[in-house]
Order: sequence, then structure tokens, then C-alpha cells
Amino acid sequence: MPIAEKAPVLERITPPPTPRANTKRSVASTINRRTHPMWFLAPAFAILLVFFFLPTLFNFIYAFTDWSGFKSSINPTGLDNFTQLASDGTLFRAIRITLVYAVLVALFQNLFGFALAVLLERDNRVNRIARIFFLIPVLMSALAVGYIFQALLKPEGSLNGLIGVVLGRTFDYAWLGDTTWTIVVVALIHSWKWMGLSMLIYLAGLKTIPEDILEAARIDGASRWRTFWGIKSPLLAPAVTFNVATALLGSMNGFDIVQATTGGGPARTTEILNIFIYRTFGQGLFAQATAMSLVLFLLVALLAFPVIRTLRKREEIL
Amino acid sequence: MNKWISVATAAALMVGLAACSDPGADAPTGEAVTWADPTAKLDGVKLTVWAAQNTNTVPEKVVAAFEQATGASVDVVTIPDPYEQGIQTKVATGDKPDLAFWQPTSSMLTAINAKTNLQPLDGAPWLSKLSPELRDITGILDGTRYAALITSPAVEGVYYNKEVFAANGITEAPKNFDEMVTAARSLKAKGVTPFFEMAADRWATQWWVQVQLADAAKNGLWDKINTKQETFSSPVVLDAIKKYKSLIDEGLFNADIKTAKFEDQGAALLAGEAAMVVQVNSFFGQLQAKADTATLDQKIGFFPVGPSGPVGTFIPDQSNALVAFRTGDAKREAAARQLLSYWMGPGYQEFVTDRNTISLQPAVANPPGVPKALLDVHATLPTAVGSMQVGAVANPDLYINLADMIAGTMTPEEVAKATQDQFAQLAKAAGAPGF
Repeated sequence: MPIAEKAPVLERITPPPTPRANTKRSVASTINRRTHPMWFLAPAFAILLVFFFLPTLFNFIYAFTDWSGFKSSINPTGLDNFTQLASDGTLFRAIRITLVYAVLVALFQNLFGFALAVLLERDNRVNRIARIFFLIPVLMSALAVGYIFQALLKPEGSLNGLIGVVLGRTFDYAWLGDTTWTIVVVALIHSWKWMGLSMLIYLAGLKTIPEDILEAARIDGASRWRTFWGIKSPLLAPAVTFNVATALLGSMNGFDIVQATTGGGPARTTEILNIFIYRTFGQGLFAQATAMSLVLFLLVALLAFPVIRTLRKREEIL
Repeated sequence: MNKWISVATAAALMVGLAACSDPGADAPTGEAVTWADPTAKLDGVKLTVWAAQNTNTVPEKVVAAFEQATGASVDVVTIPDPYEQGIQTKVATGDKPDLAFWQPTSSMLTAINAKTNLQPLDGAPWLSKLSPELRDITGILDGTRYAALITSPAVEGVYYNKEVFAANGITEAPKNFDEMVTAARSLKAKGVTPFFEMAADRWATQWWVQVQLADAAKNGLWDKINTKQETFSSPVVLDAIKKYKSLIDEGLFNADIKTAKFEDQGAALLAGEAAMVVQVNSFFGQLQAKADTATLDQKIGFFPVGPSGPVGTFIPDQSNALVAFRTGDAKREAAARQLLSYWMGPGYQEFVTDRNTISLQPAVANPPGVPKALLDVHATLPTAVGSMQVGAVANPDLYINLADMIAGTMTPEEVAKATQDQFAQLAKAAGAPGF
């Protein structure tokens, strides 16, 4: 399925090996080659081939055909699908909405995750329990999260009920019915689900800051505020790289939460690219849907490299 | 390492080339269709019927009776909404049931690639028993019959609250679109909400445009659109869209039109909070779930509406018909046809009685409990014209664009253009000449 195949892009964001490992590499690799021959990789490659490489390849092939639910033959059509998409404003609107959504999610998810990590940094019992609670949404089914929030945010839902009690009058704002602000609400839901993961990574970043640097800062008389902004936050750069990149690129491929909360509405203002693709596919226009998913793939790839390069640049000061 | 990569690449390319054919494709065979006796023994034969969330209880009784009579086992599987999308996707990947509920219009038969995927039902034994005016009303694509009509096809028209009409001095149902608007204005002047629309659920918005096109449809509008002589941007269609918008702007609709849903529509009409709803039969199904036949007969009426007179626009939907798939297994294909002939033959009386629905066969009497409004709907069928779904070669998302117009993000001109663009795209994919 075209929607699920962009995961490999995210896998590139692993930290580089440390210099110490490099010096030992030649010795290690000689031993490795004898005890672990290359063909041990074959099963892994076979799986990679069938589940990642082939779908991606088909994504390229079918995008240039007229594959549809209406007839049995599949004929090459060249760039027809792409010229048609370019001439129709719907694709650009979907791309714009996708980008807005991704930026909002990246922003919110990192803000929440960072704030939670700072709040729950110290290792005591309350914090440990709190961390678990904030991690639970990450493990939940995204569709379930979407449907729960859809129910909560209905005009007659619990949230409005609560606000009504506080205000002392009936409150029936349609949180998912506003053509301007619903995308923000949905991005907040997406961030709520994933903020636990960002929190975990920021926490890991905070924990790896060497104690001696912090001690040196304390001895130099730096305030806690100064220590935080002058030492801790720059040293979190690798965590920022990972979190921003995964949130941004992951939400570009978003589908489940939006589908469960708004289905692309109201008036298609939350119709991100994957929902548009899903709708097109459902009409039997398989080739057009594949062409769009190729556009999404290229978009994610084009965005991934500069974003990751820029964020990596920030790490070089370390 | 390099060797492995090249081997893998070569393998991938081979598989890629081999896979470049439609997995849903099977070459149709040309053998003559035979129809077994409806109650012939079918021990050990397993049939699968796909149904939607709102039709999965429809076959219960008839299937149980068929199982008992023949010894076959029939599994009714619910495909979640959106039903049509789900089925198209499944069929495209080669997954097929033996029978499925399916909208029997030419556009939707095209969408499922009937010529390849469905069994032709020409010469079916029950056809001679159907009312002559309903026999060929739908289910036929390019001269071949692919769908069996089981219930009275849906009609777009106006459901109204009789009590609200009477209380406000409207004694006679309006006879055409302008009379209906006049009645609406007089209702609004008396403080009643004339029309109720549900733009949050979107799908009913298209009925407003389609009923205004009844006269044009009679004069071949959809054929002209199919052959590019007219488009959705042509004045005839665009004016209907504009008229719909102007009526909304005039305040003749419910104030919460943007957020109202299908359920709200039924509740509002039953409670008399709104006087009229332009809808199809499934709306009445919702009313039946909320009130008994006596209440409905007393409260709810139906009149067809078109620009020049009381013309209904018929739009058979997924609950009205069944299609039989070519599964490649001759035994099961024959059994599927046998289930259809049982359903429409010996099992039909029990079926209409169980579902409390109108019989399509003069020899099978209507059950006594059918509500009056449904009989009125059924009575409009002989003179009704086909809807967009019946007449056009493709079924664009007119309703989504109209809902966007109601939400304020599209103008009538943009609705027409977007609909036409999508229509052309679908028509091209379907191989319609000229697109």
C-alpha cells in the first residue's frame, strides 16, 4: 500500500557512530566476515525487498499507467496522470494542507514533549508514574484516539459539557466544524498522541548531559535558568533533530487520526494528501492515487534532506 | 554484497514486470447461462454475500430459508462504510464474494467493471414476474443485465410533515418546484423552518440539484453530458446549483445547515421543527426506526417535485439490488444464481413480508404494514426520470462540492467546474469515448 512505505526515510536519522568505534572497525570486520557471512543477511533483505522495495517500485510504475477499477487492462500513459494533477487545483490544496498540518504537529509535539521532559526530569516515584501515563497514548491505536476525541469534541460532547458547567450556560461550539481552526485542533490531537515519545527522547537527551559540565557551570555561579538555556538546551540538539524530523515527516504521512476525527472535513479543510489519495483510490482511480502517493513520497524525501541537514548542522557545535 | 544486490534488483524487476497486470482481472468466459431449480440441492456449497452496515440484516430470513431448502451455507459479511469504496478496493485486489449488494446504476456497474467481474443475469427466471414498468428500469449496462432488483428503487422527492402543512394553511402538496418554494416562503413568514438540510453528512445535498434537473434529464441531459455537448458548467446545471444556494441564502433552510447530520434531519421532520426535506428512501428508513407505521401515516407525506410538475427522480441504491460475481468457480457461480432465483421466486413473499417492503411482482401482494408514504414513492416510479447516477457514465462527488459551497469555501461556479473536472477524469478512466 502506497501509504505505508515511507518508513525507510525515517530510519536514516540514527546518530553517527562515535569515533572510537571507527578505529576498531577493520579488525572487527575481518572477524565478522568469518563468523557472520554476508548471506546471513539474505532473509532480512528478502523481507525488505518484498515489503519495502517492491511497493516503492510499483508506486513508481503504476503512477505512469491508467490502472483503474473500471477495466482490466493496464496501459502506460506517460506523464498524463501528473499533468492532470497539476492542472487541477485540488492536489496543490491538499499539499498545502499537508504542510500546514505537518508544521503544526512538529511544533506542538515538540513543545509538549519538551515541556513534559523538563517537568518530569527528576527521577522520583511521582514522575516515573506520570511518564508512564504520558506514554500510554503513544501505544494506543491512532484510530481509537481519533474516535475518542471525535466523541469528546462533538457539539454535545463531554468537553462542551464541562465548559458549559464552568460557564453556567450551554456551550455548543463545534470544535471539529470550523473551516479555519479545525486543522489546529486535529494537529493538537496528533501531538497529544505522540508527545509521550518526544518526551521520552528529550528525557534521554537530558539524562546524557555529563554531570561534570553541569557541576562546572554551578561552580562558575550560573543560575539554573542560565544553565538550562546555556548548557542543557544546546546539548539537546541531537534529540531535537530526531524529534522534529520524525514529527514533521511522520505527520506528512498522517492519515489515521485525521480520518477518524474529521475524515477531511469540514469543507475539506483538513483533507491532507493521504486522505485525498484514499478518496481517489476509493473511486477506482488507482493510477491517479498512485501518482499522488508518488508526489507525497517525493515531497517527504525533498523535505527530509534539507530539514535533517539543517538540524544536523546545529549539532556540529557539540 | 554487490552480487546479492544485483540478484535482488533483478528479481525485483522480474516480479515488477510480471505484476504489471490487474490482479482483479479474469478473462470472461462465454458459456451459456443456465438457471437451476431454486430449491435444487446444494449440499456442501458455501456462498458469501457482501452487505453494507445498513443492509446486512436484509438477507437474514431469505438466506436462512434458502439454506434450509437447499443445504447450502451462506455467509453474509458486513463490509464497513464507505461500502462502495471498500468493495472496489477489494475487487481490484482480486477478492470477490459470490453475491453483493450493489447500486445497479450504469455508472456504478461501470465502476466495478461489470463486464469482467459480474455474471450476466439475462434471461433470469424471475424477470417475467416483475411489473413490466420496473423490469428494465435499471441494472443494465450496454444491453446486458448485471443486477437483480429486489426492492423498490429509491426516488428523490420531498418528505413533508402533514401536520405542519395543515397548521399553516397549506392544504395541497405543491405540484412543482416553484410552488414548493412559494409554500416555503409562506411557511417562513409564519416562523416555520421550511427546509432541513444536512451539510455535515453531505450526501443529500445533491438531491436538491438533481430534482431541479428532472425536466432536462427527461430531454437527455445526461446523454449530452456523456458526449460533452453539455457540462456541469452549462447554464442548466449551474443555474440549479445557484438556485439551491440562493434558497439557502434566503434563509429557507435550518439555521444549523452546516453542522446538521442525517439523524438530525429525521428528528427535525418528525418533531415538526422543519416542514420539508428533499431526500430518498433511506431517509424514510430512518423515520421508520424512530416511529411506527400509524404515526408515520399520520404525520409524514411524500410528493415528487420537478421544475414543471410532480416528477420523481429515481436513484436505485445499494439496498435495492444484488449482483453476482464471476468467481471462476462454476459450481458456486451457479449456486449464486440459484440463490437469486430463490430470493425472487419461492422466497419473495416471505422476504417482502419480513422486510415490510413493497413487492415488485404483481403476483406477490404488498404486506399490510407498508407505510403510505412509501406507496406514494413507489407510485411515482413509472413516470420518474433517472438521476445523475442512472444516466451519467461516471458518478462525480457533486455532493461534496455542494457541501463545501454550503460551508462557504466554494462558489456555485467552482462547484460546477470541480464536478466537471472529476467527471471527465472518471469518464476517461472508464474509457468513455471523447474523454
